[in-house]
Amino acid sequence: MKPILLQGHERSITQIKYNREGDLLFSVAKDQFVNVWYSVNGERLGTYNGHSGAVWCVDVDWDTKNVLTGSADNSCRVWDCETGKQLIMLETNSAVRTCGFDFSGNIIMFSTDKQMGYQCYLNFFDLRDPQQIEDNQPYLSVPCSESKITSAVWGPLGEFVVAGHENGEINQFSAKSGEILKKVREHTKQINDIQTSIDLTMFITASKDSSAKLIDSASLDHIKTFKTERPVNSAAISPNMDHVVMGGGQEAMEVTTTSTRIGKFEARFFHAAYEEEFGRVKGHFGPINCVAFHPDGKSYSSGGEDGYVRIHYFDPQYFDFELEA
Amino acid sequence: LIAHNDSSMRDTEDMDAEVEFDEGEEPSFSDPEDFVDDISDQELLGDVLREKPQEADGIDSVIVVDNVPQVGPDRLEKLKNVIHKIFSKFGKITNEFYPEADGKTKGYIFLEYSVPSHAHEAVKNADGYKLDKQHTFRVNLFTDFDKYMSISDEWEPPEKQPFKDFGNLRHWLEDPDCRDQYSVIYDSGEKTGIFSNDVKEPIEVEERARWTETYVRWSPKGTYLATFHQRGIALWGGEKFKQIQRFSHQGVQLIDFSPCERYVVTFSPLMDTKDDPQAIIIWDVLTGQKKRGFHCESSAHWPIFKWSPDGKFFARMTQDTLSIYETPVSFLQQAICFRVDFSWSPGDNIIAFWVPEDKDIPARVTLMQLPSRNEIRVRNLFNVVDCKLHWQKNGDYLCVKVDRTPKGTQGIVTNFEIFRMREKQVPVDVVEMKEGIIAFAWEPNGSRFAVLHGESPRINASFYDVKSNGKIDLIKMFDKQQANSIFWSPQGQFLVLAGLRSMNGALAFVDTSDCTMMNIAEHYMASDVEWDPTGRFVVTSVSWWSHKVDNAYWLWTFQGRLLQKNNKDRFCQLLWRPRPPSLLSQEQIKAIKKDLKKYSKIFEQKDRLSQSKASKELVDKRRAMMEDYRKYREDAMKMYQEQRPLRLELRGGVDTDELESNVDDWEEETIEFFINEEIIPIGDL
Repeated sequence: MKPILLQGHERSITQIKYNREGDLLFSVAKDQFVNVWYSVNGERLGTYNGHSGAVWCVDVDWDTKNVLTGSADNSCRVWDCETGKQLIMLETNSAVRTCGFDFSGNIIMFSTDKQMGYQCYLNFFDLRDPQQIEDNQPYLSVPCSESKITSAVWGPLGEFVVAGHENGEINQFSAKSGEILKKVREHTKQINDIQTSIDLTMFITASKDSSAKLIDSASLDHIKTFKTERPVNSAAISPNMDHVVMGGGQEAMEVTTTSTRIGKFEARFFHAAYEEEFGRVKGHFGPINCVAFHPDGKSYSSGGEDGYVRIHYFDPQYFDFELEA
Repeated sequence: LIAHNDSSMRDTEDMDAEVEFDEGEEPSFSDPEDFVDDISDQELLGDVLREKPQEADGIDSVIVVDNVPQVGPDRLEKLKNVIHKIFSKFGKITNEFYPEADGKTKGYIFLEYSVPSHAHEAVKNADGYKLDKQHTFRVNLFTDFDKYMSISDEWEPPEKQPFKDFGNLRHWLEDPDCRDQYSVIYDSGEKTGIFSNDVKEPIEVEERARWTETYVRWSPKGTYLATFHQRGIALWGGEKFKQIQRFSHQGVQLIDFSPCERYVVTFSPLMDTKDDPQAIIIWDVLTGQKKRGFHCESSAHWPIFKWSPDGKFFARMTQDTLSIYETPVSFLQQAICFRVDFSWSPGDNIIAFWVPEDKDIPARVTLMQLPSRNEIRVRNLFNVVDCKLHWQKNGDYLCVKVDRTPKGTQGIVTNFEIFRMREKQVPVDVVEMKEGIIAFAWEPNGSRFAVLHGESPRINASFYDVKSNGKIDLIKMFDKQQANSIFWSPQGQFLVLAGLRSMNGALAFVDTSDCTMMNIAEHYMASDVEWDPTGRFVVTSVSWWSHKVDNAYWLWTFQGRLLQKNNKDRFCQLLWRPRPPSLLSQEQIKAIKKDLKKYSKIFEQKDRLSQSKASKELVDKRRAMMEDYRKYREDAMKMYQEQRPLRLELRGGVDTDELESNVDDWEEETIEFFINEEIIPIGDL
């Protein structure tokens, strides 16, 4: 399996995301660029120019019309996917950490950092209401004073947002009232990433406490735990196999004290039911910051602290492989 | 209470009265004429009085020397000269008295020093001084006579102590599968656990939070586990690791057991005072009693006290003397002048030490038997810079690594002087080494030794065999090794060459019977290598004390097959529990080795059984997990299907449940990719 190397960023990758069909791959990095690529061959389709700070998050709606990005330049922007034109800019008081379109693509949510004397907010805008955009006035803004949101995804049908916090908590915030519907404390340290399964019924959390957990979206019941010996930066669920992939490594500031030779910067594959590791993919020469499965499950991509995005197509053996049971 | 209240009230009244008396005029502070002071000096300045100089009768400075030769007046002057020469080393002698009877001295004398400390010094150093064959001085303080005279003649038998039953202290040896135990400290020292080693995974025996404040030590035969606390040492043992003994030594930092486990030596830098030596304390393990305290100048070379293999003697080196003590009375056996390094034979009561060169006198390595003090071998060496003593574990061989600077050459040359202890007159053979030595180690039960020599990155590993005829053969040399330490299996034959810390944890597993590298591996940043006491397993570890990430211990077979990776958060230290020596005789061991095939069949069968059981367990476990997961997914899918109408509604009737379910809406787009084409003419080859 020879990976396709995407060299379009000058700094570490912060998030990558496929569109629903999987033909496009979006990548954002600390270098303020938003890139879009053909996932089939790694050719760059274009960039969305405008941000003036590190871009922390990206999302694309279900019909690949709009692209949503959030940045440390204190703005959240909506772009026309095809033309690259900036459609909406929502200014904030602090950096935008996470963002996402709901199932219908009509409502967006984004969270802001606790920073410069401002606390963390989870904001909801309805894109169908131009007044909200014009006034930069969310229809719902939920303050999170206790511990800031570090990652968030929409639940199925857009009823609530599942947010992972700096202190390891997971909360379900109602998208109508903003109240906390459910609360669990599954991790002891910061939750770096949350990604849903393709049907949105469950999600996987990636935490600094060196583990990733599979959790039911509606009930927040814990299903499975995957343990490693390094902080996990990102985890994703395969759409067609009972597999999960995890990426991570030592924090960037500690990287010099570790060796790349022993390959702690590998993407690691676990069986979702057995919680056992069955494979690793090397390549990055720094921690992996984000991983994502192609919606057809035949390939996956990873973005690293090293600034590269790598697209990997699985060998046929991958699909035949079975653990004895 | 009432009385107190009364008086305090009166005080206030008085004060009020005085204040009222006159505010303008200064009150008189003078005592009335008939005032008598009723406070004693003791009450007033007790703390100062304690330091008040006291009249000394000089008796503290007097020593009594016994076993002095009895001489007539003709030779008295000569004797006095000799005595002066010996005793004025410790201070100025102000007075002397040689009692006489029938024209001859009585054989004991009195000497007075100018200050008591000199007298103490004389007792400490000259007691046991051997003047000649017949006369060994016994030196005592004069005041001690008073002290010992007042001891009651009647002996009071000590109170009978109730017997405390701690169960079988060797319980762990009865494990039916002969598992060995080890202690693990992790969570940066917060947690300590004892585990039984098993090929599959460690079996927890005991785990406690904050069991020790720093680290732990096993006693040499594995009976006790010692834990360190601010206030002293605690010993634990038996089946459930109950506390067996405590030794209270404030600020204890280091400990050492005697090889027989009868005594324990503790060191603390806090407690020492001039009159009461408490830096180092020797304790009786069974009774918990303090046997003796010692001063200590520096703890740099721990253990300061080195024990003879049977625990009968222990020796220490102070500034320039080697002192050997005998247990249980612990009196000073002898003092030898100016030593640099010494070491006990692990097999016999033989002590080896070396003395550096002094002007025309060559450096000397001496082997001395105890308690006879026979020098069984002395070897003179020239141009010596440094010596290091390496004993083979049974005491069969001694290797002295000698660094020399021969005349007319630059730099240091290293030789190994090999003493064959088991042969008559202890023959010595020399192995010349051409390169710098990084590490040296004897095979524990054999006649081979391994040497790492050279300079990084060109480090060579050489293996030598000492033949009984004195020939020392180089068996094999591996060049370009990544290693800085040698770890022999406690049973010999196998060893691990390890490049610890700065060498990234490179590991080489060597079988020295045919000198093959069985495996080459790496445990990145490994800081420690520990063989289990039977030589079946070896553990490599990355300790949090030396490296802050990837703290873990890995278990390998002696052949270098990795069995387990045990990641423990902030893992600090792993120590195997030692085993006491085998009770089997040499013949019995030989018989077992002969019938090894018979036994191995049984063990192989057992292994197969446990393996198939393990794989069955694993499969069962996986099946159960899969069952649970399937069930969860089915429920989730059911709900998913139920929500289908809602999804359709949200996406304007477009079915997106399957990747290709809305394929009719797709727009086909053809994209052309440009592929570079370049023609490179191949020239004439």
